[in-house]
Amino acid sequence: MIYKITIPEVAPDVEEIRVLEWHGGPGQWFAEGELIVELETHKALVEVRAGQGGVLRQILAEAGDWARIGVPLAVFSDTDDEALPASPGDGADLMVEFVID
Amino acid sequence: MMLIRRFEEALARRPDHGFQLLSSGEEAVAVGLCSALTAEDELLTGGRSIGPALARGVDPGRLMAELLGRSTGTNSGKGGRGHLADRTSGFFGAHAVVGGNISIAAGVALAHQTRSEPGVVVVLFGDGAFGAGALHETLNIAATWRLPMLFACNNNQLSVSTARDVVLAPRPLSSLALAYGMPSHTVDGMTLDTVTAAAQEALDGIRAGGGPAFLEFESLRFASHSTNARETRPAAALAVIRARCPIQQFATALTDQGVLDADARAQLEHEVDARVAAAVAFADASPFPTPDEALTDVW
Amino acid sequence: MSGEAKATTERMFFRQAIRRAVAEEMRRNPAVILLGQDVGAFGGSYREFDGLLAEFGAARVRDTPVAEAAMVGIGAGAAAAGLRPLVSITYMDFLMLGLDPLVNYAAKLCYKTGGRMTAPVVIKTTAGAKGQGVAHSQCLEAWLMGIPGLKVVAPSTPADAYGLLKAALREKGPVVYVDHKRLFPTAGEAPLAESVSPIGVAEIRRHGRDVTIATHAYMTSIVLKAADDLAREGVSCEVIDLRSLAPLDVATISASVRRTGRLLTVEEGQATCGVGVEVAARVRESIGAISSARLGALAAPVSSNPVLEAACIPDAARVATAVRALCGRAVPDR
Repeated sequence: MIYKITIPEVAPDVEEIRVLEWHGGPGQWFAEGELIVELETHKALVEVRAGQGGVLRQILAEAGDWARIGVPLAVFSDTDDEALPASPGDGADLMVEFVID
Repeated sequence: MMLIRRFEEALARRPDHGFQLLSSGEEAVAVGLCSALTAEDELLTGGRSIGPALARGVDPGRLMAELLGRSTGTNSGKGGRGHLADRTSGFFGAHAVVGGNISIAAGVALAHQTRSEPGVVVVLFGDGAFGAGALHETLNIAATWRLPMLFACNNNQLSVSTARDVVLAPRPLSSLALAYGMPSHTVDGMTLDTVTAAAQEALDGIRAGGGPAFLEFESLRFASHSTNARETRPAAALAVIRARCPIQQFATALTDQGVLDADARAQLEHEVDARVAAAVAFADASPFPTPDEALTDVW
Repeated sequence: MSGEAKATTERMFFRQAIRRAVAEEMRRNPAVILLGQDVGAFGGSYREFDGLLAEFGAARVRDTPVAEAAMVGIGAGAAAAGLRPLVSITYMDFLMLGLDPLVNYAAKLCYKTGGRMTAPVVIKTTAGAKGQGVAHSQCLEAWLMGIPGLKVVAPSTPADAYGLLKAALREKGPVVYVDHKRLFPTAGEAPLAESVSPIGVAEIRRHGRDVTIATHAYMTSIVLKAADDLAREGVSCEVIDLRSLAPLDVATISASVRRTGRLLTVEEGQATCGVGVEVAARVRESIGAISSARLGALAAPVSSNPVLEAACIPDAARVATAVRALCGRAVPDR
């Protein structure tokens, strides 16, 4: 199954985030609880941790990039051989845990 | 002390530049406190500032010029009564908002502390300022930051005309500062040596890094709040007050010690009168600011 | 040499622009210190002072008690003694508690000492409605515009937050620098190279023909949104972001109104004795009779209740309505 990471409103008023650091690249398996990416909002640093296991397939917003709320940041899948969708927004939402500093 | 008294008497005869805030009766507080200060120290006061300014060494001519609105004054004639300042004399300045200079003084002390400069900042304020919230706020911060600062309350017993007992609860006033962990004392403000000794001891502690201290000087104001304010105290009470003249007390003590005789005192008075006359002459010979100076130095 | 043009700006959050300005000025000038509630380890209410304590130490970054009168007074006194304090007053509503040292001392010191002393303290505070209620939402900057000896600036972008705060920290006298709470979630481009925005210069954010809209701070984005909507109706708005309220850039506003013939002032604070009243009067003094209107909050406190808060303060629809009325346009059919 194909998943995507999108940034919901992790904190009140967040309109835009900046990607600080990906903790892995395409092809990497993330177990539940592992840190996938660190983001910055206007108020806080946010750690995005896997809420379920999955393979990172595609990074859509590189470190340093800015993204508005709701825009997909990455594509995940259950296994590393699943075909990727035409539009990254087509996947289901990957379960993630946001840890706000 | 004699200079302050005669200077204010001369000024009181000059109603041509509005009212004035006189400190006659409180000379020992000004002179005793300033005699314990060094050139590195800074003095800030409330509006009743002629005595402290002269005691700090501000030139009487420029002071008189300022009080009579002349452009040769310490503040170019723009500050006037209540706002005298002369940093070159270590007189950081007066501020006529009651209690208004207390937090300002803490800022000056913070500047000294931040730059590791020597010198203590002294703020002299009246019992009228004692009820202001800024005092608590500043005592608290000064104690927390251990600012090199002396809170000197000249308790002349009156807020304009309202007696201290009617409006201020702490008894003595210095007890307030104990809550902030400061060395704090109340002393007789009418006796020069007592003021000097208390100020010296407090300043020594601050200079040694002991943090801020508080002194209350119990003094008596001879005149009403200002030269155009009504005197509400009965004549009999005023006579008792004036009998405690700090200048006379000090002169008597010196005479008793054999240091001062009648001739020496007459000579001193003559010198003081000459200095005051010169100050008035300097002021009178100086021009007023021109109207276009209303717009200069705004920013 | 080939290749793409080198970037001259960098995108940053509003708070980062503030932090950068303060950090640069603190590095540049050892006299700059920061005082305020929660400015130290906490990094400021909006994290606009993040990391400054670690870089500059507790002597220059000082947490204060909740004591605005003393905070402003200490800032003014330290400024008079040669430091350049930045005093952070969390909300502008609380600046009232510190107005005595600001207005009676700092703004007067240069004048009353015949130019011998000045108090270059910068008061940084935050204004505006964002759910905090009647005593935490006010825009009181108009009060401060009539104090000779005081400058007042209010940025609407991270670039101006950066440039104006740096300018404020180099001014000769006291400056009140006002952020709006709703600017903190925003990001924008700020110059990569160190720069200073001169105080007293307005910025034309959008050029137009039919009406000049003078506004400031967060309302700039509301007005720009209204201008977009009005453009679709064929109304061309020129939008001026005042940036500096004292002094006012009357020349820029007047030149614009001379072109458009109409002036609308928009502010989040009260219209009565507001920024707009002063802007309109100064433009009239400069170029004569003009057609003008003003828009501000309703004459009521700003509630924390979102329904009442929204009802109280101008939005793009109200701006558009005011422009249409000023231009004699009918309300378009929806």
